Amino acid sequence: MNPVLQAHALGKRYGQRQALADCTLEVPPGRVVGLVGPNGAGKTTLLKIACGMLAPTTGRIEVLGEQPAAGPAQLARVGYVAQDTPTYASLSVADHLKLGAKLNPRWDAKLAQARIDQLGLEPKQKAGKLSGGQRAQLALTVAVAKRPGLLILDEPVASLDPLARRDFLRHLMESVAENDTSVILSSHLVSDLERVCDYLIVLVASRVQLAGETEDLLAEHYRIVCSRRQDTDLPPELDVIWSEHTGRQSTFIVRSQTGLPAGGWPAEHLDLEDLVLTYMERSAGRGRRTATRTTGDAR
Amino acid sequence: MIWLTWRQFRAQALAALAILAAAAIYFLITGLQMHHAYSADLAACTPHHDCSDVLSRFGQSYDGELNLAQLLVIAAPGLIGIFWGSPLIAREVETGTDQVAWNQSVTRTRWLAFKLAGVGIASIAAAAVLSYLLTWWAGPLDHINGSRFAAVTFSSRDIVPLAYAAFAFALGTTAGLLLRRTIPAMAVTVAVFAGIQILVPTLIRPNLLPSTTVTFPINKTTASRFTGVYTSDGGAEINIDLPVPQGAWVISAPPVEDSSDQVVAGYLHSDCLFPNTSGPPTKTGAPPVSQIAACLARYHLHQSVTYQPASRYWPLQWYETGIFLALAAALSGTSFWWIRRRRN
Amino acid sequence: MISFHLDARSGIAPYLQIVGQVRQALLLGLLSEGDKLPTVKEVVAKVAINPNTVSKAYRELEHLGLAAAKPGVGTFITRSLGQASLAEHGPLQQELRGWLAKARAAGLTEPGIDAMFQNTLREKVEEKI
Repeated sequence: MNPVLQAHALGKRYGQRQALADCTLEVPPGRVVGLVGPNGAGKTTLLKIACGMLAPTTGRIEVLGEQPAAGPAQLARVGYVAQDTPTYASLSVADHLKLGAKLNPRWDAKLAQARIDQLGLEPKQKAGKLSGGQRAQLALTVAVAKRPGLLILDEPVASLDPLARRDFLRHLMESVAENDTSVILSSHLVSDLERVCDYLIVLVASRVQLAGETEDLLAEHYRIVCSRRQDTDLPPELDVIWSEHTGRQSTFIVRSQTGLPAGGWPAEHLDLEDLVLTYMERSAGRGRRTATRTTGDAR
Repeated sequence: MIWLTWRQFRAQALAALAILAAAAIYFLITGLQMHHAYSADLAACTPHHDCSDVLSRFGQSYDGELNLAQLLVIAAPGLIGIFWGSPLIAREVETGTDQVAWNQSVTRTRWLAFKLAGVGIASIAAAAVLSYLLTWWAGPLDHINGSRFAAVTFSSRDIVPLAYAAFAFALGTTAGLLLRRTIPAMAVTVAVFAGIQILVPTLIRPNLLPSTTVTFPINKTTASRFTGVYTSDGGAEINIDLPVPQGAWVISAPPVEDSSDQVVAGYLHSDCLFPNTSGPPTKTGAPPVSQIAACLARYHLHQSVTYQPASRYWPLQWYETGIFLALAAALSGTSFWWIRRRRN
Repeated sequence: MISFHLDARSGIAPYLQIVGQVRQALLLGLLSEGDKLPTVKEVVAKVAINPNTVSKAYRELEHLGLAAAKPGVGTFITRSLGQASLAEHGPLQQELRGWLAKARAAGLTEPGIDAMFQNTLREKVEEKI
């Protein structure tokens, strides 16, 4: 099956600042992809390149097999909702639907209207007068009703209250179930991603640190807590991602695609938040801490 | 895309229509009054042969209104540039709605083309209405003044205001696109537009077409054609009013010069200029022009005048219109090129 | 119709939680043979989870023989596990009582017993799938 997004050594530079570096990705279709990373990591840059708002400075990218924003046909296949879900403040809800209908060949007016009714939005109300959650839902409706093959959402729920956030995600999942759309969704809130994302990309310091099916990634990573030892003392098939050593104890986060070697290792799986944090900390250079106490318990 | 362009422009269009309607009513009511009064005065003065005085007073009575109206018609394109041009793209970028518009199934160039064409045509139409109204309204006054070549007059009549509107609008949108902020774009638009409106009448317009320069030597024969002599600059210069074709635009009339093209100091020839007294003459004591000219003849002086004949009015209008339309096209081209770059 | 919920902190994979909740409902007699399970769309519209999760859960239920999909109509329960089944397993419950006594005797307190039980159960469930 053709990947929805294929990037090879993708990079974006602004003068001296490298916003995105050496990103290579191959995202399979039919997934809800979570793009997670700290603020300033390059998530927005990557998403803007994917929908054609920005052009990369190095590398190449293909979305649904074509160049982003290559023409009206390609624009019709990709839906995009930018950060803070912008809408036209002086246009009404009904105007927004009309905008979608006029500018998109595959606009599904019935779906859009049904969604607006379901959300309880007043057609005549100006978008500027809606609450944050309602605006987000409106922006999502406009993006979904054009029936894209891929929906790109940049931190759509960041500034919403918990109820609005949940409503938005429910609406999004319903659309995915209905239309079989692929989604790439960025967030710095891991808890939301856990519920909805089955593919994960961790972007830290402008680079892709981790990418893969969420289930597989969770299954491949272990936390091992054992007596104090060096990273190199572990079996070679365990890839040490992060370690922390205190007086008598070492904690390792390892990755192994072939399971744990025999030997009754005191290991457990991580939850998604810990997994993401591990990679974030690793990039921040906090991965190899050694705390020695003055009594010299290090062994 | 037509619907979206209209929907976003709707409020501004309605405001403009209201303003234009008010202007039309004003011009029509006062204009009909003025035209009527002009015809009446003209009919009354003709048998008495004192029309030049009567009409000159008539013209002066409308001076204030005329200046105001002309300034408004010149300012209108600038206002269009600020209020219709600058926010066109800048507002969308500021509010983030560019990310909505450019991710529908229309390309950016198509989006820009429709917006520029739609609001651009409205700009030109608005300027056309104002220009037409003013040109009609000021008909008698222009006739009294002899020509429409005066800087503010030329810029507010006939077809050049349309080109100014196209230019100012293109300037506003391009500034908005490049600067990505409405207020700075407005400031730049005002500054550039005002600058151009000051430069063009003084530096560009006179040289658009070759002008005619006539040099008159000062002697008894030519004196019959002079209409007046006076000194200026505290006596340092002498000026002679020279005959120019009716309705011509006098571009420059330097003071009297000698055979080596040096400006002649007036006080050197006070014996010719003020023969009866030791100072400048009063009106009743002024010697006739022919006498002064005869007296000055032996010094071999001359005066030139540079002008554009009246027939050049319409060619100049077309040339200037062409220049501003070309500028508008260049700016629009720049916008299209810039919007495709996606450098952000 | 059964409604699902997701316990984000349980450490159990979401699709397994759904399977578990269907099982629970069957055991308690809230679902019986012939009952229709909500569509994937209906589930995710109420619970904001990935549709693939629901699909996977339903496939697992089919694999376990608890449900069957009728294309175009929906997914239906094929077996009942009513209250009766709990009663059927009297001997099992007896064994459990015995084990509990042993655990107490060994010094495990209730929280300790509960922790051991949950851990082992989780291991078992994950192992199986």
